[in-house]
Amino acid sequence: MIDVRDNWRVILLVVFILISAFALFSPTLAADDGGDGGNVAGTSSVTNLQYGLELSGGTRVRAPLVGVTAEEVDFGGDEPRTVEQNVAAELEGAGPADVIARYGAQSGGQSTAQPQSESGNTVEVTAEGVTTDELTAALDDAGYGYETTREGVTETTRQEVVRILQNKINEAGLSGGTVQQVTTAQGDNYVLVEVPNQDASSVRDLVGERGTVVIEAYYPTENGSGYARDVVLQQEDFQSIGTAQEGDAGGAYVPVTVSEPVAPEFQTAMQDTGLAQPGGTRCTYQADTESTEPCLLLVVNGEVTNAFGMSPGLADSMRSGEWAGNPVFQLQTTNVSEAQEVSINLRAGALPAQLDFSQDSGGTTSYISPSQGADFRINSLLTGIIAVLAVSGTVFARYRDVRVAAPMIVTALSEVVILLGFAAGVGYPLDLSVIAGFIAVIGTGVDDLIIIADEVMAEGQIDSRRVFQSRFRKAFWVIGAAAATTIIAMSPLAILSLGDLQGFAIFTILGVLIGVLITRPAYGDILRALTTVDR
Amino acid sequence: MVEFTVPEVDYTRYTNRQLAAIPLAVLVVALLIIAGWYVMTGSPVNQGIAFTGGTEVQVAIDGPQSEAEQQIRSAFSAEPESIRSVPAQSVYVVTFQSGPGSESVGATELEQQAEDAGLDVRSISTVSASFGGDTQTLAIGGLAVAFLGMSVLVFAMFRVFVPSIAVVISAFSDIMIPLALMNVLGIELSLGTVAALLMLIGYSVDSDILLNNHVLRRSGDFYESTYRAMRTGVTMTLTSIVAMLVMTVTATLFGIQLLAAIGTVLVFGLATDLMNTYMLNLSLLRWYKFEGVNR
Repeated sequence: MIDVRDNWRVILLVVFILISAFALFSPTLAADDGGDGGNVAGTSSVTNLQYGLELSGGTRVRAPLVGVTAEEVDFGGDEPRTVEQNVAAELEGAGPADVIARYGAQSGGQSTAQPQSESGNTVEVTAEGVTTDELTAALDDAGYGYETTREGVTETTRQEVVRILQNKINEAGLSGGTVQQVTTAQGDNYVLVEVPNQDASSVRDLVGERGTVVIEAYYPTENGSGYARDVVLQQEDFQSIGTAQEGDAGGAYVPVTVSEPVAPEFQTAMQDTGLAQPGGTRCTYQADTESTEPCLLLVVNGEVTNAFGMSPGLADSMRSGEWAGNPVFQLQTTNVSEAQEVSINLRAGALPAQLDFSQDSGGTTSYISPSQGADFRINSLLTGIIAVLAVSGTVFARYRDVRVAAPMIVTALSEVVILLGFAAGVGYPLDLSVIAGFIAVIGTGVDDLIIIADEVMAEGQIDSRRVFQSRFRKAFWVIGAAAATTIIAMSPLAILSLGDLQGFAIFTILGVLIGVLITRPAYGDILRALTTVDR
Repeated sequence: MVEFTVPEVDYTRYTNRQLAAIPLAVLVVALLIIAGWYVMTGSPVNQGIAFTGGTEVQVAIDGPQSEAEQQIRSAFSAEPESIRSVPAQSVYVVTFQSGPGSESVGATELEQQAEDAGLDVRSISTVSASFGGDTQTLAIGGLAVAFLGMSVLVFAMFRVFVPSIAVVISAFSDIMIPLALMNVLGIELSLGTVAALLMLIGYSVDSDILLNNHVLRRSGDFYESTYRAMRTGVTMTLTSIVAMLVMTVTATLFGIQLLAAIGTVLVFGLATDLMNTYMLNLSLLRWYKFEGVNR
């Protein structure tokens, strides 16, 4: 008969192993495919374990955002939109879309390393190649006071970038892709993008561009001295965006609905610019920009990708004012893939700031092919098993007693099972650094078990439970002290949100805790049951 | 099956000075190597691309090694810094240092070049120089904080100076000697080796605490306590060494560099730990027990 009170440590261990096994194998806990699976990079079929990019294949891109920021800007009563236009006017190489003025944006990073400014007004310039000096000069010229200027963008902008990039990845149908913000120990902020099963260049193509889409009207000026270009529709002016479709006569289009407040404005602009003239307009922008009838230009990332005129029917309904009641039209593109890009960009929105992939930006890129990932997965498992066999061999050679050595191996392995269960339960993706953590745990675990075994069996048979208890407690002092040092040694790496060693540190600490609190005491009980003579 | 028992060393035959001399001499040599490296290369250790910045491409090529290397050199526009082959797999690890200006080629271009040349790209990773610098600060900071934390904890646990400082010196030496060996053997400092050095702090303290605990907190003769601590401690360390040796060999064969690097450094460190614990720490402890206490 098993005495529950005497063996509660062993029972606790069994309970933990059962919970872990449930977390590992239960289909009810299996992660859904696709969607926002948190940090998920790939799911395997047999277990609920999730693998990081190193073990599943895919691309990881880590880059800072392009931009400079002025803090504590005195808007002088102007609206942010006005401020943006005024500052942009003073800057070379930056349009109004590249300048963001905010009321009380969260300025610093989450880290304490950066001075957290009071929630003052900020002006950011996110065009490439604009320096803090240029921003300073532009603010002075535009007549806005400010406190400081610095490299980087505001927290609000970073959060927006993360949200939009995540949308883009989802819209592009790359399941399991994740975007997050990371901060280094020095307080630098990076955006981290992970996409399974895609190579580096396709990921860069997707996330590297701002993804701005605007519709401009191109029309002859009234005095006849050439053409003017005006932005008539922006990303946020659309109410709904259809999926890319192939047109009847070659080309492709994206059906869109203009939002109701903007529709009348757009309608008026179409009439004023002459686009909605009787009989519609025929655009010959590509062939001859100087003598075409008025055109609508599709401008993606600042470049004109297509130009089209207006059909007679649409022009009529614009002029009669009916169109604003049902403001739908088609954005014409030259081919389907372009239509898809426009559709993705319109749905996800434009990035307020761009990822900086230049050489000295501080970014990193890594790509692991799926076959390499699968190899690593199997081979590291094999390596682990072989290492455990080596430990078993040594322990048997030393003790020559299966009653001591066998439970030792079983206990050490159960630590790994519990850790794996934990990883599956919380959905922590396994990568090589986590596996290194497992190795550290087995190593310290076996060390501790050897301490317990030697201490408990010192000087022959244990003839009473009290002797056993006192010896066990002595052994535990050493184990506890060693565990405390390991935890202290690993904690700095575990706390920092950046660094590929975080997984290693977290799992080493967890493993040591599980070991000291659950598995190693249980080993003591098992050893007592097997070696004590008085029962 | 082989059987091993821990032999009883007759420590009475050696003086404390004799015992401490060897590990201290080795430590001094190690520090000299590291200092020499610093003078010669400007960095105390060989740093991998994770710290200096650069690109690493792994490609799979069938065929003899010389041909494969030729193929690799012709594929990329930049000159590779090194080409290593992974045994048991026809995989080659090609690294490019990130240089200033036009010489360096980005990951996207390298990927494109490899694909154009028909190479099967297994993995590619790029670290920019400034990011590498950040990682370096993080790694050094992490090691320093870990070491300090360990020292404080050891002093708090034993509350006597000599035995505590003995543990700290042993741990310091356990890190420095593998570092020097890494320089000599041409192993680069990578994230994996930093992880291994951190693990060493934990492993090293294990056996030292065990020894101090047996000698200081248990009744009984010094040599008897020492022998009992040794029997356990040497078993522990040897088990770990065997496990790490086996892991290093398998991981090298499989081409898992991270695990191979961890294994190699731990084997060095654990072997160093045997020497430091049972010669350096022990001699300091014996001096403390027989002479220091009475002062």
